[in-house]
Amino acid sequence: MSDKPKVAFYWCASCGGCEETVVDLEEKILDVVKAIDIVFWPCAMDPKYSDLEAMDDGEIAISFINGAIRTSEQEHISKLLRKKSGVVIAFGSCAVMGGIPALANLKNKKDIFKRSYRDSPTNVNPEGVLPQTETDLDGCRLSLPEFYDTVYKLDDVIEVDYYMPGCPPTPANLETAVQAALKGELPEKGAVLLPDKSLCVSCDRNETKPDDITISRIRRLTEVQADPEECFLAQGIICMGPATRDGCEYPCVKGNMPCTGCFGPVSDADQGARMIASIGGIIDADDEGEVRDAVSAMPDPAGTFYRYSLSSSLLGKKREER
Amino acid sequence: MSNFEPNIIAFVCNWCSYAGADQAGEQKLDYPANVKLIRVMCTGRVDPQFVMNAFRGGADGVMVLGCHPGDCHYRNGNIKALRRFEIFKNMLGQFGINRERFLLDWVAAGEGQKFQKVTTEMTEKIKGLGPLVIRGYVESEVV
Amino acid sequence: MNEADSRTGLFLCRCGANIADFVDLESVASRMRDRDEVAFVETHDFLCSVAGKEFILETLKGKDVDNVILAACTPKMHLKGFQKTLGKAGVNIAKVHMANIREQCAWITKDRDKATEKARLLINAAIKRSAYHENLQQKTMECLTDVIVIGGGIAGIEAALVAANAGRKVTIIEKDISLGGSIIKTEEIAPNMECAPCLLAPRLTAVRENENIEVVANSEVTDVTGFFGNFTVKVRKKARYVDDSCIGCEACFEACPVSCPSDFHLGLGERKAIYTAFAGSVPASAVIDRERCLHFTDESCSACADSCPFQSIDFSDSDEELEFSGGAVILATGYDNADSSLVRNLGYGDIENVYTTPEFERVASSNGPTGGDIQDRKGNKPESAAVIHCAGSLSSGGLDYCSGICCMNALKVGELIRKQNPDAVVYNIHDRLVFKGPEEQSFYQKQIDDGTIMLKTDSHLSVSIKKKNGKVEISADGIDPVQVDMVVLSTGLVPSAGTDELAEMLHIDTSKAGFFKTDHPILHETGTTIDGINTAGCCISPCSSSSAITRAYAAAGDSVSRLIPGRKLELEIMTAVIDEDVCAGCKLCISVCPYTAITFDPEKKISVVNEAICRGCGTCAASCPSGAASAKHFTNRQIYAEIEGVLNE
Repeated sequence: MSDKPKVAFYWCASCGGCEETVVDLEEKILDVVKAIDIVFWPCAMDPKYSDLEAMDDGEIAISFINGAIRTSEQEHISKLLRKKSGVVIAFGSCAVMGGIPALANLKNKKDIFKRSYRDSPTNVNPEGVLPQTETDLDGCRLSLPEFYDTVYKLDDVIEVDYYMPGCPPTPANLETAVQAALKGELPEKGAVLLPDKSLCVSCDRNETKPDDITISRIRRLTEVQADPEECFLAQGIICMGPATRDGCEYPCVKGNMPCTGCFGPVSDADQGARMIASIGGIIDADDEGEVRDAVSAMPDPAGTFYRYSLSSSLLGKKREER
Repeated sequence: MSNFEPNIIAFVCNWCSYAGADQAGEQKLDYPANVKLIRVMCTGRVDPQFVMNAFRGGADGVMVLGCHPGDCHYRNGNIKALRRFEIFKNMLGQFGINRERFLLDWVAAGEGQKFQKVTTEMTEKIKGLGPLVIRGYVESEVV
Repeated sequence: MNEADSRTGLFLCRCGANIADFVDLESVASRMRDRDEVAFVETHDFLCSVAGKEFILETLKGKDVDNVILAACTPKMHLKGFQKTLGKAGVNIAKVHMANIREQCAWITKDRDKATEKARLLINAAIKRSAYHENLQQKTMECLTDVIVIGGGIAGIEAALVAANAGRKVTIIEKDISLGGSIIKTEEIAPNMECAPCLLAPRLTAVRENENIEVVANSEVTDVTGFFGNFTVKVRKKARYVDDSCIGCEACFEACPVSCPSDFHLGLGERKAIYTAFAGSVPASAVIDRERCLHFTDESCSACADSCPFQSIDFSDSDEELEFSGGAVILATGYDNADSSLVRNLGYGDIENVYTTPEFERVASSNGPTGGDIQDRKGNKPESAAVIHCAGSLSSGGLDYCSGICCMNALKVGELIRKQNPDAVVYNIHDRLVFKGPEEQSFYQKQIDDGTIMLKTDSHLSVSIKKKNGKVEISADGIDPVQVDMVVLSTGLVPSAGTDELAEMLHIDTSKAGFFKTDHPILHETGTTIDGINTAGCCISPCSSSSAITRAYAAAGDSVSRLIPGRKLELEIMTAVIDEDVCAGCKLCISVCPYTAITFDPEKKISVVNEAICRGCGTCAASCPSGAASAKHFTNRQIYAEIEGVLNE
């Protein structure tokens, strides 16, 4: 048994992109593995939950948990990891704020099941069976985790020590976090391990943004050929950069795509509300008709402004116990 | 639902609508006590987060009342509010909230009667819609 | 400081019976006394009375509270007074808060329980909000006391004289080659038929002799920056090619071989390539028209220089860029006459003897092309004339408003024609008529008594004009056609050329009609949407000469009364503030600021609030996408606490 710090990686409701970040460390992962022991990583290794349960409380130095909490299984393992870990880092946008899975918070479980298991044209389910938590099949009792009505962020179910948003976080973000942890240089608990500024601070295109920016109308990417140099907002294309935390090195913008906000808001705020307020401020329209017309190219404002942050949004997050 | 007493918050600008509410008071124009005012200097100050916090905190309806277009004390803060809340209203339905629960309107300092009318109508409308249930009010399954 | 450890003193006002009869103040008081954060609750009959204020101060003696809440009437009435009173007890202005339980509770519901419950919630919200109140300090700023006047017509002149007489240095920036504006192009002003040039001449002299006034003519404003108390105006002064030693003796006019149409006479008369606007102009010196002058076109001539007794001609003169500073700006840019394209449908431009009122003014003026002899372009004196009211106005294709002073100008035509030809027949063809006050009404009556024939049409839009039998025939719905020698179209007034560009430079709004937008049509007519920029004359809306001058007095008075040498300006307390540790320089706050109070610091790459300009609307705080901007005394945290407070006790 080595005395290297033990590290766990776990995924909840997520796509695997955050695991990719670990893999994307490339040869640096060898340095990481030299310094730490990865003791639990279902995506890459084959541990059993019983192995985890057998560990001592606090035995794991750091657990990186990615993904939102959608099922009872994810809640259960997150709580188990919490118990067994010294530090828990919510890794990636889904764990931090619900991420893409949390878009389901605009619907509810009933609608989602109906669509997925009954109405979807690719389904063959004449009896309209819906997933059950328990069922008997050929004399065996099968169980499935319960599917919750709400998609939760990780800190809705366990206490989280640090936050690392991103869809996914970059390998550099991960490396910084691991190094800080190994050197004992982690900030105060509750911190986001990223700069407290918005993306515009780094973005090359901010130079091209006029001081007095106004836009005549919102334009969709499908209706314009985006200029590769100019600030997207100045072109009337919604870019979430101003309302989004810096730290990604803006690969989307470099690829001539506007920021969609995956690093979440700067400081504790409702990312979508902030962006709506900002965009509303700079639209050059003066009466109701003009305004309506100017914002008509936004068929899905919730999906635009809350693409990754619904579980931490004021209208989409879980109830706080009063 | 007949005895349902909704909570309604009105964000009112200092220069027009707060004064309009004062005039409604001075003229003893009854309006429902359900409506509670929060004064801001300008409707341009009203952050959508205020409205969302109000809904989340238990408001069944939210109003933003400011100066008529062209009369803003700060040139056009009211128009900025209009633009923001147009986007906001388009989005409310996506969260399962009836857009009728939000109202942006203009009430001038001398429009005590209009203040009475918009607050009374809003209260009636919200009574008809019933208590607001947002996702935040889905019973927490997390034990 | 958080809610738990902030201590609040609460005063309840009975307001006689006004509150006490409708709100159960005893129950409110006892509920509030039970709260940890409430240090004391005291009730008084009239907190705003002298006795009430003494009671407040007496109560506070020896008490240790962080903030004070007065549950009484509307803060719009007494908050400032309470802040002043509590200031004596050392309570900071921002730690004094009111809950409006009179206008918003006692007076709007007859249900005592509901009024009481609402009062409790409003007080609760005030307590919760107050926990986050932070001390705010009144800041002051040194101010410049000089005044910059843009536009040198009669309004600009009067504004400059008022400010200069108060001992301020005044710069008048005039785009034309001389002061004088529109009034100098008028012979007499109705209804009193005062001689306009005679009114202006002594005022021009007063400006010329006033050491506090600098006249910068033939100049255009290129940029304006700053704010009330400290404006900088950049000006391009165009070359005159004649220096200040010129006294306007006109010797060069004779010598100059080039004649061309005169703008001053609206093209109806001629001037030379070297000219003055009019005799007695300020500045007195002549100007060379570079486009026409032979010295500049082919270097073939220097007759003016040869004839000048003062060696004032300077062919090497060039444009200058100048800069002026002052604490206030007064706009007196006047008006233009509506474009003649609006009256093409009334024969203007096609039929020779159709004139506009401003053109007729030139024809009738003693300083006009014919020395005041009213004659048509062929030199014939009209035996009959028709004046068409509202020409190009109150119509969808023209001006959609009434200029309010054209009816007087239209009636004046008959007066001036009859003065020279008492037998002349004059028709005034009108739909509606606008006369303000007894003098204008009597002038109207006098014209009828003197022989003007008033013909009321069914609509001024039905008027049509055509040539007939060597005369001009006017027909319209509801009247029999008339044939006359001369037609005068009474046109309206529009904002002067360049108003839009100037408004843009000044960051002020314009009205729907395109004039500068008034700050408030009743309370502050001469103000604009930016503090410290006032207006004089017609640049906010068409008005009579007397109103133009009254506005000038108002604008100058407002400017100098607030810019006192040695006194500092008090700045807005509740300004916006931008946290430079958070600001990413995304600039989204800059364009939402109505006052250019926010600028981008290219060094630090962040937005910066200028507290001297900010008026505290808070729009930037709501618009900031990263939470760097906030509005003092209206912070998110304070508002959230208030929201929570009105919803749940």
